[in-house]
Parts: sequence; C-alpha cells; structure tokens
Amino acid sequence: MLRLLLQRAGFSVLSLLLVSLILFVLTRAIPTSPARMVLGFDASEAQIVKFEAEHGLDRPVLVQYLDWLRKLALQRDLGKSLVTGLDMNRRIAETLPITLELVVLAFAFSLAVSLALGTISALREGTMVDQLARLFAVLGVSVPGFWLALLLIRSFAVERPWFPPGGLVPLSAGLGPHLNSVILPAFSLGIFYTAILSRMTRSSLLDVLGQDYMRTARATGLRPWLVLVYALKNALAPVVTVAAMSFGYMFGWALIIETVFNIGGMSSALLTAISQRDFALVQAVVLVFTIVFLLANLVADLLNAWLNPRIRMERI
Amino acid sequence: MSQLDGPSRRGFLRQAVLGSSAVVGLPWLDALAQAKGKTLTVAIPAGPTTLDPINAITHDPMVIMQTVFENLVECDIDGILRPQLAKALPEISADKKIYTFDLRDDVVFHNGQKLTAEDVKYSFDSLLDLKRNAARRGIFARIEKVEVDSPLRVRVHLKEPYAPWVYFLTKYMGIWPKDSREKLGDDHFKLKPVGVGTGPGMFEEWKPNEYVSLVRNPNYWQQDKPHWERLVVKIVPEDATRVAYLMTGQTDIIAAPPPRDFARLRQQKGLTGEARSTLGGWTVLLCNHQRPPLDDVNFRKALAHAIDRQAIAKDVFHGLMHPATVPAPPGSWWYDQQADSVISYNLDKAKEYLAKSKYPNGAEFEITIPSTPYLLDTKDAAVVIQAQLQKLGVKVNLKMAEPNVVVGQYVRGEQQSALVNIMSPGEATYLVVVNFTAGQVMSKTSNWTHPKVDELLKGVFAENDQAKLKPLYSEMMKIFAEEQPYVWLGFFDVANVWRDNIKNFKVNQGLSFHVRDVVPG
Repeated sequence: MLRLLLQRAGFSVLSLLLVSLILFVLTRAIPTSPARMVLGFDASEAQIVKFEAEHGLDRPVLVQYLDWLRKLALQRDLGKSLVTGLDMNRRIAETLPITLELVVLAFAFSLAVSLALGTISALREGTMVDQLARLFAVLGVSVPGFWLALLLIRSFAVERPWFPPGGLVPLSAGLGPHLNSVILPAFSLGIFYTAILSRMTRSSLLDVLGQDYMRTARATGLRPWLVLVYALKNALAPVVTVAAMSFGYMFGWALIIETVFNIGGMSSALLTAISQRDFALVQAVVLVFTIVFLLANLVADLLNAWLNPRIRMERI
Repeated sequence: MSQLDGPSRRGFLRQAVLGSSAVVGLPWLDALAQAKGKTLTVAIPAGPTTLDPINAITHDPMVIMQTVFENLVECDIDGILRPQLAKALPEISADKKIYTFDLRDDVVFHNGQKLTAEDVKYSFDSLLDLKRNAARRGIFARIEKVEVDSPLRVRVHLKEPYAPWVYFLTKYMGIWPKDSREKLGDDHFKLKPVGVGTGPGMFEEWKPNEYVSLVRNPNYWQQDKPHWERLVVKIVPEDATRVAYLMTGQTDIIAAPPPRDFARLRQQKGLTGEARSTLGGWTVLLCNHQRPPLDDVNFRKALAHAIDRQAIAKDVFHGLMHPATVPAPPGSWWYDQQADSVISYNLDKAKEYLAKSKYPNGAEFEITIPSTPYLLDTKDAAVVIQAQLQKLGVKVNLKMAEPNVVVGQYVRGEQQSALVNIMSPGEATYLVVVNFTAGQVMSKTSNWTHPKVDELLKGVFAENDQAKLKPLYSEMMKIFAEEQPYVWLGFFDVANVWRDNIKNFKVNQGLSFHVRDVVPG
C-alpha cells in the first residue's frame, strides 16, 4: 500500500509540474498583454512596454516560469496579480474555502442521493421506483446546471422568498442564513453528478448481483442485507473512480454556478482572471484545481486498492 | 453565424427569472446595515481592477472612485461642468493656457487634514510623474506645471490651449493629500484608499468579485450629504442575477439592465427605470481604410445609407440607442442636425454611391464583433447589418473574437472592420482625437486623418465658449458626414432600474452612478 501511495504521489507531482508548464506557456501565448488590461485600450505603446518591463513580462517565457516555480517552491509564494495587485496567496486563502465548501456540499449530496437511488433502483429493477429513478437520472444529465440554477432562483428566491437569489451569507451572520444561501447553488452543482453516479451505481450493482458468487451467497442462506453489503463493496470500485473524478470536475462546473449565484469563490475568480488576462491568478487557481484533482484521484486509487485486494496485489 | 439569430443563453435564462411580481427578501448585508443605519446598495456588472482613479479603465466601477475622490470641477449628470473643490469654474487667461482655481476653504480629507493648494499641485504632479506610468497620464499630458499661488489658489499651466482637459477631471483624476503616495504607497490607492479622498464616501472594504463598501464621510463639505450611512457596490456580472437582486431587494439600483427587459422592468410594481443617451458612447462600425473595399469613400457612404439605424435602435437595442450618423449625440450642445441629415437610410442613394465607388458590383468584407458584450451587445446588430447590406449586394462575413482580442486588433489596424461600443469622458473631442489624428492609439484603426479636422480641433482647444465652439463642431461634423471615416450607428444609452423607494436618483449621462444625492428607502 505504501509503495502504491508513493508511486501515485510521484506521478501526481510530475503531472503538476507538466500542467503548470503548459499553463504558463499557454497564458503567455494569448495575444493581448495584461498591460493593456491595466492601462486601458488608449494607453500608448511606450506605456505598455514600460509596464511589461517593470513586471518582467518582456523576459523569455521559460525564465519567467522558472522564476515563478522558484518562488513557489522556496517561498510558497504564488505571486501578485498583475492587474489588481492583490496577493495571490491571500486571494486563494479567501476564495478556496468558499468553492471547497460548495463543492464538498454538492459532492456529499450527490454521493448520498446517488448511492441510495442507485441501490434502490437496482434492487427494484423494472418497478415504478426504478423507472422514476431512471427518469430522474436522464433529467439530471440533460438539464443544464445554469438553466436549473436560474429556474431555482426564480421559483425559490424571487417568487417564493425562501432563499436569497445569490451571494453567500458569511458564517458570521449565523449558521442558518449561511446554509440557506448555499443550498440552491450546491443543489444546482450536484444534480448532474447525482444523476451520473446513480446510473453508475445501479448498473454496477446489477452487474455484481448477477454474478455467480452472489447467487452462491444467497443460496447459502446469507441474509439479504449482508449480501447487499458484499455486493456494494464489489460494485463500488468503478463508482469510486468516477466519483473522485466528479469531485475534480465540480470545481470546473462551479465556475458557472458561482457566476449565476454571484458567489465570490475561486471558480468565479478564475473566470474574471481569464477575461482580465490576470496570469498570476489563472496560474494560482488552475494550480490549486490541479492539486485537488490529483488528490481526489489519489484518494480514489487508494480507496479502490482497499476495496479490491487484487489492485494491491498487482502492484506488489 | 446562425447561432447569433437564435435565442441566447442569457436571454433564455433571463426569461426564467423575469415575470415574477413578488418583491421580497431580507439579505444579510442589508440587515446588517439596517442595524447601523441606511444603506444604499447598487449592483454593477463588472468590478474594479483598481480603486485609484488615475488608473481607472472600466466605467461602471468609477462610481466607487467618484464617491471617494473629488476634483476641482466635476461633470454633473447632464455633462455640465460645475465647481466641486473649487469655489467656481476657473478663470482662464487670454492665451487660454493658464487656468486659475480658487479652492473652497471648508474641505477636509478623510484623514481630517484640510485641503490646500499644495495638495492640488501634488496630485497633478504625482499623476504626471513618468515613473508612475499612470494609465490616464496621457490625457493630462498637455499640463506643463501647476503653481501654488496661495494656500487656496492654484494655477494650472498648459503647454498649449486645450479646453477639454477640465472635463476629464471627474473620471480620471482626484485630489489627495500632499506626499500621501510616498508615505502610503501606490498600492494603498489601488487597494484600500483610506484617508486620502475628500468625497462623500470613505473606503471601508473591497472583496474582489463580490463588493466594495464605503461609509458616510461625517465631515463632508456638503454638510447635509450623503443621505446614506453605507454604500455597497455589488459586483453581479450575470444579467439575470442582477435583475433578481433588484426584484428581491438585495440591491436598490442596477446598472446595465438587459435591453430587451428594460421596458418591462421599469413598469414593474415597485420599480422605476430611465434611459438617457450617453454623451460619449459610440456604437460604431470601425472601418480600416487600408483594407479594401473600405478604402473607398463612396463605398463607405453606400454602407452608411444602406443601414437602417432606426430599425436597429428599435428592434435590436430596444430603444437603448439613439441613432446618429456623425460623432455627436442628438441632444448634446455640439450636435448638428444638418450634418446628421447628410446620411439617411435610403437604399436608392446607397446604390448610387456603390455605383460611383471602385466596387460598383458589390464587394465582400469582414466585420469583427466582440463575443461578450462591452456596454451593449452588438452581435444581433451585426446580423441585421449583414442582412441589410445584402440588399445592396455587399456580402458581410461576421467574425467573433474575445473583446480584448478585438481591441488589440483594431488598435494595431489588423481588422477590416469591427462593430463595437466605445465610451469617452463625455465631451466632443476625445474620441475624435484618438481615432482621427496622427500618432494616437487608434490612429491605425481607420488610418484616416483630415487636415481640416486637425485645424478645427486646434480652434476647439483654444475656445471655451460654447456659442463660439458650435460652428467649429458643425463644420467638423459635416466633414465626418461627407467622408464617413467610420459608419456611426448612434450613441448608446445609459439605463438604470431602481426600487421606487429610492429618492433623488438620476441617470448619469456620464454612465457611472451618481450617488451623492441619493436618499435610500
């Protein structure tokens, strides 16, 4: 297990370096200089050149990258925004918890509902419950999250004032108002993955329940709930992998949800940063997203190894 | 390009939010503010990148800078110049190169320090300091020096006559205490300008992408103002969400309501709205004269005659654009009806001009459009223009690009044409100079200059009397009408919608909110 952990961690570090390099080169390939964003469309060429020189943007891309990497590795400094002048470490510290909370809540909701729904659907295959669960899954996958978000705002914020139409109420204003403000965004974010994971749980569980060893287990008189526990353990391996990836993808989808609900998280900051050519913020946010994605996959690998001894054995 | 015709995502989603009559809700911020006093909350689509007025780029966030900082004179909501920190409008020397301002003696900065002429001199000196590389240095570059005459009197010396400079003071400048930039650093002005303004609002907090809050200046020189205890400027980029904020009471006033919903929103119970033409907001087809077929004046005039601006204003912009064929907004004092009537929607005339052009059998060219709107979406208008010019035998290819890419292309003169909105400080010369005189940032966009326009501009710069300026502008506008260096569609409107318990709010033709006089509900 330790060997597997080290192997996967090493792979993650390499992936991180590669992603950061690609990202660095790509952001510098965008035609409009951030100087134009800071100084305006009517700034003179001399002003643009001066700005780029002052901020080291006139140096070769590789030199800029190595400088950024050195500061990151030695000083854990993500730099300062070229556009706003804000400190990136602070920006990440302020916005990551917001997005993380949103994603974790959406993920927890997805996981809980999808496992329950997928299991019931598999156990009641062909019944009305199964049909309804499948309909839910189709709708969940088909309905765009941003559209659903707007419908929810209309129905439950404008027409019925149960939730605020946007913005995140800080925890300092009370747990109730805070949770109230995060329910609609988390639901909008989680619904797509709930549908995906419930379909996957259902099909995987049906597949396992149809295996010979399950029939044998039932034939030996094992109690149904115990059979289900064994079946779930075997059926969960592909679900865990997809769930881990979903967790990472949710950070990307949060970009839309945070925009619609006007939540100042890391994802909406990324959107603004891209439009403002704010290289430092784009790099910082994507770096954090990559770390989250790699960590989620690492956890999935370890969980799978725990669920399936063959994976552990293969690597020994 | 068919996707441009279809229902847009925003449009569709907007429909999802509108239609409700319920106006309810108690957001946390307002609740918090009610405990402390009256709060005025406004929602704008784009947040600031800086709070330093000398580097302010986008217009909506200027409400923040203009509430924290003030200047010698200000442009009011009708574009009229009025004294602010000066007692009166300046005395101007006979050679039009020296402006003398007498300062009010009852103004203190937010840090309690009294305003003096030394502060004014320092503010201009620090703006003009080359080391600072201020974004807005260029438009004040004609200032030679600022002299202190007495503790409450300053003289601004210009290198050459340049009357428009005073109109730029509201948007791109402020007065701050002497030595403050050295003591506090430029980042202080950029990120948290505490203690350095004289305006009705004092900086409290900036949460990027969320809001900027200001609190009432208790020592404001207009002693009965402001009427709010706190001003919260919320950043809400999504149109539908901004509307939902207004309908649920999370905000009192919104900027940039969706044009197709504006009429309906302003009639909704509990809401009021108004639209006014901006004084400097061009909706324009930028034409690069280096790129055929736009090199031919008759071809450009054919285009100008073939475009039905009234239909575009009514059906595409839902009345939020005032058609004009010259760079003067109808309703402004420098507008010339005669010049504006040279070009009208007339397909026969358009065909005549096309026949006289180098391209009598029609031609093909490309219009670049920003993929995301700046101030007003031009995508639908581009599609309509494409259809209207087809009747003339002119084929238009539409190309979308990200707004900053579009700007980069036309600044470098790489585009053939582009349909865009551009906004100036709201006086007559700025965009004309930037676009149609040599060595300016947009000189390569058209590659068009005219010696008579240069000469008229010199005359304009040396005159402050509107009565004497009017004929000069009329002559200039006639040249634009005859030459059509660009094809103007008109001047876009600034529109706001607000809750009807808000008092004294008036739409500012200068675009950014004017909140000093507003009384919250």
